[in-house]
Amino acid sequence: MTRYVLHRLLALIPVVIGVTLVVFSLLHLTGDPVRLLFGLTVPEEIVQQRREELGFDRPVAVQYLRWLGRAVRGDLGMSITTGDHVVAMIRPRIGATLELTVLALLVTLAVSLPAGVISAVRRNTAVDNLSRVAALFWVSMPTFWLGLLFIMVFGVWLGVLPISGRAGDVWTLEGLRSRVLPVLTLGLPPAALFTRLTRSSMLEIIGEEYIRTARSKGLAERVVVVRHALRNALIPILTLIGLRLPWLFGGAVITETVFAWPGMGRLLVDAVMKRDYPVVQGIVVAMALLVVASSLLVDLLYAVVDPRIRYE
Amino acid sequence: MRPALLASPTVWTLRRLWRNRLMLVGAVLVLAVAVAALLAGHLAPYDPIALDIEALLTPPGAKHLFGTDELGRDIFSRVIYGTRFALLIGVAVVLIEAVIGIVFGACAAYFGGWLDTLLMRLVDIMLAIPTLVLALAIAGVLGGGLGNMILAIGITGWREFARLIRGQVLVIRTSTYVEAARAMGAGDARILGHHILPNALGTVVVYTSLEMPAALLWAASLSFLGLGAQPPTPEWGAMIAEGRGFVGQAWWVSTFPGLAIMTTVLGFNFLGDGLRDLLDPRTARGL
Repeated sequence: MTRYVLHRLLALIPVVIGVTLVVFSLLHLTGDPVRLLFGLTVPEEIVQQRREELGFDRPVAVQYLRWLGRAVRGDLGMSITTGDHVVAMIRPRIGATLELTVLALLVTLAVSLPAGVISAVRRNTAVDNLSRVAALFWVSMPTFWLGLLFIMVFGVWLGVLPISGRAGDVWTLEGLRSRVLPVLTLGLPPAALFTRLTRSSMLEIIGEEYIRTARSKGLAERVVVVRHALRNALIPILTLIGLRLPWLFGGAVITETVFAWPGMGRLLVDAVMKRDYPVVQGIVVAMALLVVASSLLVDLLYAVVDPRIRYE
Repeated sequence: MRPALLASPTVWTLRRLWRNRLMLVGAVLVLAVAVAALLAGHLAPYDPIALDIEALLTPPGAKHLFGTDELGRDIFSRVIYGTRFALLIGVAVVLIEAVIGIVFGACAAYFGGWLDTLLMRLVDIMLAIPTLVLALAIAGVLGGGLGNMILAIGITGWREFARLIRGQVLVIRTSTYVEAARAMGAGDARILGHHILPNALGTVVVYTSLEMPAALLWAASLSFLGLGAQPPTPEWGAMIAEGRGFVGQAWWVSTFPGLAIMTTVLGFNFLGDGLRDLLDPRTARGL
């Protein structure tokens, strides 16, 4: 196991370098950050001078290597607008973003596993058909709009939940209340998709012989469904979680903006608006690293869910 | 084999189409959006950008079906005109994605070797970067606006296309007619353009309808964040953003454009879901 993890970590190095290369070149080839910062009315000489100060006049390859050289030492450059270190700006916000995404994922699973199992056990009944249509409804819902609807209903009309910010710790009542709406906004829409996947993978497994064996042993249906079927159905669900990770972080950007959640996503949107290029670049790379790291974690969970899977 | 196969393929397809009512609903919704876009000038009761200071934030009623916004503009008319932007954005984004994806995917599969490895590594790497995050960053660097937003989403969202085309081309590449063409002295460009791509196109067309919902949602999100269509353009995402400040006193300002996005995306989802079933009967009762 340790060898496998080490191996996987080493294999991540080219991916991480690739991510930085892609982000760097896409951002550099599509725009002129310093000109954008100043606007079109400022004379070229001033823009050029600032370009030289910031090192933006060098060839892109040189800029990239210099940036990468600093990045491996934990320096992602400095904000053009505030002069703060990008790493120092990101670090306090990683926790808030991870908290939001993890809680949202838990909500997704808490809703979709039971719903998927019920759909599978009662396949082709009204409940099942309803969940098929509901799944397509939910995936068609724009995240930011769902957030606004929640704000409107629970924040403004009923006035029962706070509509912005992240108050205190999650285990205090106040802290919990401030987390309900953002977490539901991010966690509910994908639940539909997970419900359908749980259903189809449960259906596949319910047809297996060991399920028949378990039933003929006289085990209670509950035990058969939960311990024998669901446990094996978890593998494709883990795969889907891995595939959805980029969506989750993308959705977090939107959710954080709607609810003024102090995470990386909101910092990214602010930086984009201020045209603060090094900050934008740093956050995109940091988010990609989070995705890569969480995918690795999901991969390791396979062995936990299914002890037959051995990593050598 | 199932008896339905005895019928002609057309009859069989039509029968399945009828049976798959969700797909029919999807087709109707998409058609409705297309008609609204074409006839917006006739359907919309008001000018979508005309201000009316006499009627600021009027609730929905007989005069203004969906109410008016903070500048007195008729929201129903703006939603109707919004169909044009939605379709324009969706089609443009998917076209850019398809072109990049086809070039990358077809070249990777056809030439194979190091080029294949390189291009597919690139796809893997890009899959690790959340599309919305990358598109947001690129749209920001480009300076925002409708055209830049479309470009930003197009150059980030092509990855699935590339994978799909690669798979198709890998299969077609080995078929006898490709060998025959090569034996007759056809060059790579001719074989790719005349023999392989036309045969892979069917899948591409279906995939575009599956990609449409994602494109529309990404575009609406970027517009909502202020990087897409700029005011006073009646674009749905931007309209929701404008209504954000009034959720307390005027729920209708952001609710109706949101419903419009949801209905359109839902239409494409129903349609795409059904099309996938038609093409691949194995998944028919799957998801």
